[in-house]
Amino acid sequence: MTDDFNALFMQSTSTTSPVIRLANIEKVYQTRTIETVALSQVNLTINRGEFVSVMGPSGCGKSTLLSLMGLLDEPSSGTIEIDGRPVTSYSDKELAGLRNHKIGFVFQSYHLINDLSVLDNVEMPLLYRPSIGSSERRRRAIEALDKVGLTARTKHFPAQLSGGQRQRVAIARALAGEPEIILADEPTGNLDSVMGEEIMELLLGLNREQGTTLVMVTHDEQQALKTQRLIRFFDGRQVA
Amino acid sequence: MLRHLFTLMWNRKRANGLLILEVFMAFVVLFAVGSTGVYLWRNYQAPLGFAYENVWQINLNSGSQPRAEQVATLQRVLAKLRTTPGVEVVSRTEDTTPFSYNGNSGNITTGTGDTQRRTEEADFYSGGPELREVMGVRLVAGRWFDRRDETPTRRPPVVITEATQAELFPDGQSALGKVIHYGFHENQERVVVGISGPYRAGGELSEPRSALFGYISPQDTTTALNTLLVRVQPGTGAALAKRLSDDIRLTSGGRWSSDITTLREQRLSKLKVLLTLPAVLGVVCVFLLVNVALGLFGVLWLNINQRRAELGVRRAMGATGAAISGQVLGEILTLTTFGLVLGLLVAAQFPLLGVFNIKAGVYLTAMLLATLGLYALAAGCAFYPSRLAAGIQPAVALREE
Repeated sequence: MTDDFNALFMQSTSTTSPVIRLANIEKVYQTRTIETVALSQVNLTINRGEFVSVMGPSGCGKSTLLSLMGLLDEPSSGTIEIDGRPVTSYSDKELAGLRNHKIGFVFQSYHLINDLSVLDNVEMPLLYRPSIGSSERRRRAIEALDKVGLTARTKHFPAQLSGGQRQRVAIARALAGEPEIILADEPTGNLDSVMGEEIMELLLGLNREQGTTLVMVTHDEQQALKTQRLIRFFDGRQVA
Repeated sequence: MLRHLFTLMWNRKRANGLLILEVFMAFVVLFAVGSTGVYLWRNYQAPLGFAYENVWQINLNSGSQPRAEQVATLQRVLAKLRTTPGVEVVSRTEDTTPFSYNGNSGNITTGTGDTQRRTEEADFYSGGPELREVMGVRLVAGRWFDRRDETPTRRPPVVITEATQAELFPDGQSALGKVIHYGFHENQERVVVGISGPYRAGGELSEPRSALFGYISPQDTTTALNTLLVRVQPGTGAALAKRLSDDIRLTSGGRWSSDITTLREQRLSKLKVLLTLPAVLGVVCVFLLVNVALGLFGVLWLNINQRRAELGVRRAMGATGAAISGQVLGEILTLTTFGLVLGLLVAAQFPLLGVFNIKAGVYLTAMLLATLGLYALAAGCAFYPSRLAAGIQPAVALREE
């Protein structure tokens, strides 16, 4: 898997090339009686090293957009390209490999596993890379925790941490796999303003210092304005 | 990944405590049933040592006839039966006949003082010169009882089985001509005149163990007056049985009656009785395993529904559907391992302490079977929930949270 993945995706590293491209994306949720259009005619390009924020009212399709970019969901129609390659026909294994190597996720409610220590949580993306041994996994996890300033908490469990610390752990988990792209779904939504600011600074630092591409869904206009580009959605359509 | 699974399951051991207990209990029951099954199967596989087809047992009822007269009557009855067409050979014996519920057992010893050797519990049988032919007992060395034994002697003859010889003389020397003692007659010296193959009158399910044949002389007036074993020609049936019964009555002047059964019927009857308890245990075991299976299945199902977000996150982190499926399967097998380790610790005491004097191999085989059975059960129960977990759409699962 790792070799296949490297052959496919680790070649293009130009700093100005599009890393994610959505073309004519539609996403419709269908039940027996209701058809809900979540996204319609979305055409969007995210360039390498960009920090893009996505705003819009609840239910406008922001999270759906992030799920599609993160290859967690399939569009009803349209094309998603990662590094210039359409991924629509990829197998589950190939998509999982892409998520594992290319993309890191940060969620509003952290999604940490409460029964695992901070260190074990951060190691998780690396578990799905058989080529990485346990000592290397540990080293990388500690390195990621160091970046978010939580090396002193490696043996703690999520329940023993504050909301801000949990989100830092979630960011460390996203960083452990050294992804090119981080998709953050309202990463400060559950935090107070001070902690929210801390997390925002952390994300900005990642983008600035490591060149990580970031796409962040947020409701906070102030935070959105700190990013390089702001995209607005309304009723499933990109309006700005 | 294995370490990750163990860490995760270990940290969730309290939440999964009941499940671990359930696996432990299931293991104990499987081990008990397995031990019984393996024990019986091993016994069943061992040679019986005699041919029961076409052998009839005749129980004689001498009514109120004085004992002093019974011997003479018995001699007449035997002479009559031996000349009856259809009868091949007749032997006197005691009531420890094949497939009966009667037994005579104890230890057999040889030598004295420091050099004395003693068998484990052994079976004692008695028979006349014809018993070997009636039952088809295999003679390995020496001879069976014959006319030479009719002269009373200080050391009556015995025939022992190979297993007895091996127990008494583990250095490999022959037991022929050696003096032994057994059972209630510990002071009575006996001389070994023959070595036979195995003989398990208890039937196929009885444990193979040492055995010995004592001699019943045709002139013996104290024992074996009421039981005869008769080998008849193949194909003979009810007509011959009626004739034998009539002959016995007429030869005894109408004073004796008889009850004739075939060893085949007795074998089936005994098998039914002996298999009843294991069968009941088996049904209870199946019932329990079905309950355990339903419990495992239900807990897993619930578990997966409660952990949709976690499974969604794992998918987001790069887990394939197969990896998620493998994880769920791995988790239940890990939990099973926790319960099994507890169960194996308990089960290991049985061979270590030699409980019920059953060979360690029986317990070890049962432990292996119970372990494999439980793993198979757990894997079977986890299969569908693991497929369900693999099918969870990560975007949907994360949105639900």
